[in-house]
Amino acid sequence: MKFYLITSMLALLIPSIKGESQKIAYTEFDLKNGLHVILHEDHSTPIAAVTVMYHVGSKNETTGRSGMAHFFEHLLFEGSDNIGRGQYAKFVENAGGGLNANTSQDRTFYYDLLPSNQLELGLWLESERMMHAKVEITGIETQREVVKEEKRLRIDNQPYGNLFLETLDHAFDVHPYSWPPIGSMIDLNAAQEIDFQNFYKTFYVPNNAVLSIAGDITPEETKLLVEKYFADIPKGSIDIPRPAQIEPLNKGEVRDTIWGKDQLALVLEAFHIPAQGTKEFYAVDMLNKLLADGESSRLNRSLVDEKELALFSSAFTYNTEHPGLTMAFSLANMGVDPKVVEDAMNTEFDKVKTELISDREMQKLRNQVENEFVTRNASVAGIAESLANYYMYLGDASLINSEIERYMAVTKEDLKNAANKYYTKENRVVLYFLNNPDQMTK
Amino acid sequence: MNKFSSISILIFVFILASCKTGVKVDRTHAPLAGPAPKIQIGQYQMTKLENGLTLIVVENHKLPRVSYSLRLNNDPISEGEKIGYVSMAGDLLSAGTAKRSKSQIDEEIDYIGASINTTSNGVSGNCLKKHMNAFLDIMADITLNPNFPSDELEKSRKQTLSSLESEKTSPDGLSEKITSVMNYGNNHPYGEQMTEKSVNNIQREDLVNYYNLYFKPEVAYMVVVGDITFDEAKKQTEKYFSSWKRGSIQSKKYNMPAAPSGNRVVFVPLSGAVQSTIDITYPIDLKPGTQDAIVASVLNNVLGGGGFQARLMQNLREDKAYTYGAYSTIAPDEVVGFFSAGASVRNEVTDSSVTQILFEMERLVNELVPDTTLQLVKNILTGSFARSLESPQTVANFAYNIQKYHLPADYYETYLQKLNSVTPADLQAMAKRVIKPGNAYITVVGNKDVADKLNRFAASGKAEIRNADGTEFVDIKPAPVGITVKSVLENYINAIGGKDAINKVKSFEQIGSMNMSGMALDVNIKMKDLTKFKMSVNMGAMELMSQVMNGDKGFMSQMGQKEPMDEAMMADVRQTADLMSALSYERYGMTATLLGVDMMDNEEVYVIEFKRPDGTTSKESFGVLSGLKLRGESVDGEGVLSVTLYEDYVTSSGVKFPGKLVQSADQQEVTFTFKEIKINPKLDDKDFIVE
Repeated sequence: MKFYLITSMLALLIPSIKGESQKIAYTEFDLKNGLHVILHEDHSTPIAAVTVMYHVGSKNETTGRSGMAHFFEHLLFEGSDNIGRGQYAKFVENAGGGLNANTSQDRTFYYDLLPSNQLELGLWLESERMMHAKVEITGIETQREVVKEEKRLRIDNQPYGNLFLETLDHAFDVHPYSWPPIGSMIDLNAAQEIDFQNFYKTFYVPNNAVLSIAGDITPEETKLLVEKYFADIPKGSIDIPRPAQIEPLNKGEVRDTIWGKDQLALVLEAFHIPAQGTKEFYAVDMLNKLLADGESSRLNRSLVDEKELALFSSAFTYNTEHPGLTMAFSLANMGVDPKVVEDAMNTEFDKVKTELISDREMQKLRNQVENEFVTRNASVAGIAESLANYYMYLGDASLINSEIERYMAVTKEDLKNAANKYYTKENRVVLYFLNNPDQMTK
Repeated sequence: MNKFSSISILIFVFILASCKTGVKVDRTHAPLAGPAPKIQIGQYQMTKLENGLTLIVVENHKLPRVSYSLRLNNDPISEGEKIGYVSMAGDLLSAGTAKRSKSQIDEEIDYIGASINTTSNGVSGNCLKKHMNAFLDIMADITLNPNFPSDELEKSRKQTLSSLESEKTSPDGLSEKITSVMNYGNNHPYGEQMTEKSVNNIQREDLVNYYNLYFKPEVAYMVVVGDITFDEAKKQTEKYFSSWKRGSIQSKKYNMPAAPSGNRVVFVPLSGAVQSTIDITYPIDLKPGTQDAIVASVLNNVLGGGGFQARLMQNLREDKAYTYGAYSTIAPDEVVGFFSAGASVRNEVTDSSVTQILFEMERLVNELVPDTTLQLVKNILTGSFARSLESPQTVANFAYNIQKYHLPADYYETYLQKLNSVTPADLQAMAKRVIKPGNAYITVVGNKDVADKLNRFAASGKAEIRNADGTEFVDIKPAPVGITVKSVLENYINAIGGKDAINKVKSFEQIGSMNMSGMALDVNIKMKDLTKFKMSVNMGAMELMSQVMNGDKGFMSQMGQKEPMDEAMMADVRQTADLMSALSYERYGMTATLLGVDMMDNEEVYVIEFKRPDGTTSKESFGVLSGLKLRGESVDGEGVLSVTLYEDYVTSSGVKFPGKLVQSADQQEVTFTFKEIKINPKLDDKDFIVE
């Protein structure tokens, strides 16, 4: 009786164990210290992706310490009580593995891609990182410069490198989404050793993390190993601060011109949107596809192909935990007036507000979504990350298999309604990026 | 949901389980690895269609999708004066067919949620299995019946010109350009760079001809990967591609470009840059699929192949914090490969970074790589080989490479053995062959203020400041108000003696010597009646070379071999003969623009650009203070830049002539020094006879 109960519960928890080949099967459980663990078994290649997602990103930073979460991500490769400075990556690479990490507005994600016989090594390394990472002043000073170089490389020295930075800065007044994860030079210079210690104690705790492992593993054996390395890590004792205020909609139009050295004019329009996982978010995301996914999308067809105003048009939705932004931008052809580009973009936004899209166009969007869903589960590393994402933000890892239904439930009317609600003048930021090196916006 | 209860039950189970193990964790040492898993390479199947098209299939039924990649194995093409047409032909394959317009193609591809990409060397894309027939129908149509509509060409031209403009602020884009120009030269397919002019030269028939000549089934491979059986893929390929007609393609050979004889520093200014993009590079001869290529890849991973343990990463990032990342590449290639090592670093540490990269290169040549390092790199490469097998595309690429490079069938199955056989001595021998810290182009894209600090790395002692296309960089400020083409040229005429004095010069003769690569020759230039011209170069009594023009016709003769002058050359000579040509450039069909004020060896000069009727341009620089012409620069039809410096002006009968001319083109330098200049001498008409 008891055994029967357990297995039936397991079956509920692992809905896909008997399912079709495309369904991603997984097991999940919590340790006593609050660490959530997700395991996905796939023996096709002898590799294992060991990943840890911490629920901390740039939105958890305080004014004057922008860039802290990402800076700290760098420092967590320095070593631990048992791992000497600089040895962390060496263990992984010597084992024939690869490793890296990245930081977004909402989370920090570490991954080790290992031959499957080195699974335990990955668990040891990640548990050391969570339990007693060691950060020395030499490491802080070195990584401070490395991170500043990363900012120069990716933002300051790139054409239109300030695109997102300026957009966020103009769009957000109360929410910390107003700065990008890389932070500002001033804040990077200001960060102190004590800031890192506090940051570690507050955010790098098992109850703020998801350990997601995928690949050539057996769940039973892996559970024991997870327990072995992670069970002793104490639960965090500090309340984890999260931003309390969310950015309101319809704050009135924000409009500005950003001067720079890039030759072609770029026109960007950003709109405030609901948080990921909400019904309207899916409608907005599909509107985005309608506008700029593929050569036949509306902005590309109109601005690039028919009117020949732009070199390309693109749209991008920030998949953020809190209400964020969707943005569309067009890089103008040489000599084209940015106002003309903006008008053409607005014409397309207005069309979606007044006319229902055709059945065929609706089917196109659904087919595009379906293709994306199938394609993104191609690697165990991708699966491990998706499972962790769904659990962390939406509280439900099974959305890896079912989120597509939420997209498919979006109707033509939903698209029109979403356009009317969010793609409005009062709800937008319009930025022109224009060439004038002498007036460069600092 | 039942989530909470089920989790608590699970936890209960695990606590029991962990009690059973009851072992205290030893955290002080890394855990031991389990037995190494067997690395298995997936299978592929291959066949050839009757028209010569080769089909490679890798079945993988994990996800319900299929990818198709049609690859043409053609030699690269030199595009001459129309650089850009080959890539444009590739882009425009999907811009219309006999059956479908571009917008129909776009819509049909997007409708099935698929994507397709066309290049000059093939067509590729992927789709869900349920859409594969619809997808192939479009893919085959694009591949077999493109019609390159003129309006789509014009649109593409406009976009290409815009993107040329937008690339000017991209440090990576500029770096890529300058390194390929330096490594391969302007006349090699790998070195040719699109320009506004070359893009404007492209005609629809260039695209059509390219397609007709190079899109042939016998050089094509159809690589199919995914949720499909071999038989299905074969039937599909036969159905859609068996009508493709054979045709023969000529193979092309190119000269192997050489590394420079000493280090050259080539600096491309990018105003406002906050980093220097450094690339130390040169061409190498290294063929893909050889044991040498495997040894070179191990060597590259020791130096900077991407891992955190690589020497460049440890030195420039982890130790010195100069950069976010420092990397190297040793790329084998059938035509010509390259070495590259570089990093993007903050301006202040540009020279220090170059020093460290060169230091790491030298270490590879001078020291044996320790066994532990070699083993680490072998582990890294074994691991990444194993991980790459997760993607079925990898197996398909292996199959394709075996065909393309004529590798033994077991090349990839025995790859790990070959990798493991590499010794430290092999690495050093390879380093001596491909690591050249003294024969490199040290290219840097960055803030111009940084350039001077790099002089010491150049064998010549001087960093060359260039544009990304390899031409000399001219840093020009706008000219003050009131200065015009006319005022600069009139000022020049006054500076060399004034209209009256010049108009009195009907003939002149310059006698002097010419110095080229350490060889001194006599040179004599005669000009008569403003239209007749003769230049001869002699060694003692023997005439080596001459150019003669009688006004209407001319010839060039070299060691007795005569050749008529072409119209462009005669136009040049006429202008040389006409001392007042500066004021009458319009008579020669030219237009002129004042570009602004530039610096030339601490002297300010006005720069005027002249455009000839054939579209070629030249620039001339005139001293702001002296008014004299100090420099001329022109690019010929083949893109070769020649520069002339006018120095040591001397006065003869009230008119100033340059006593010395220094001409350089294509890395050759010629100096003319005139010891005597005769005005209105008695010249014999017989000297100017052209038969």
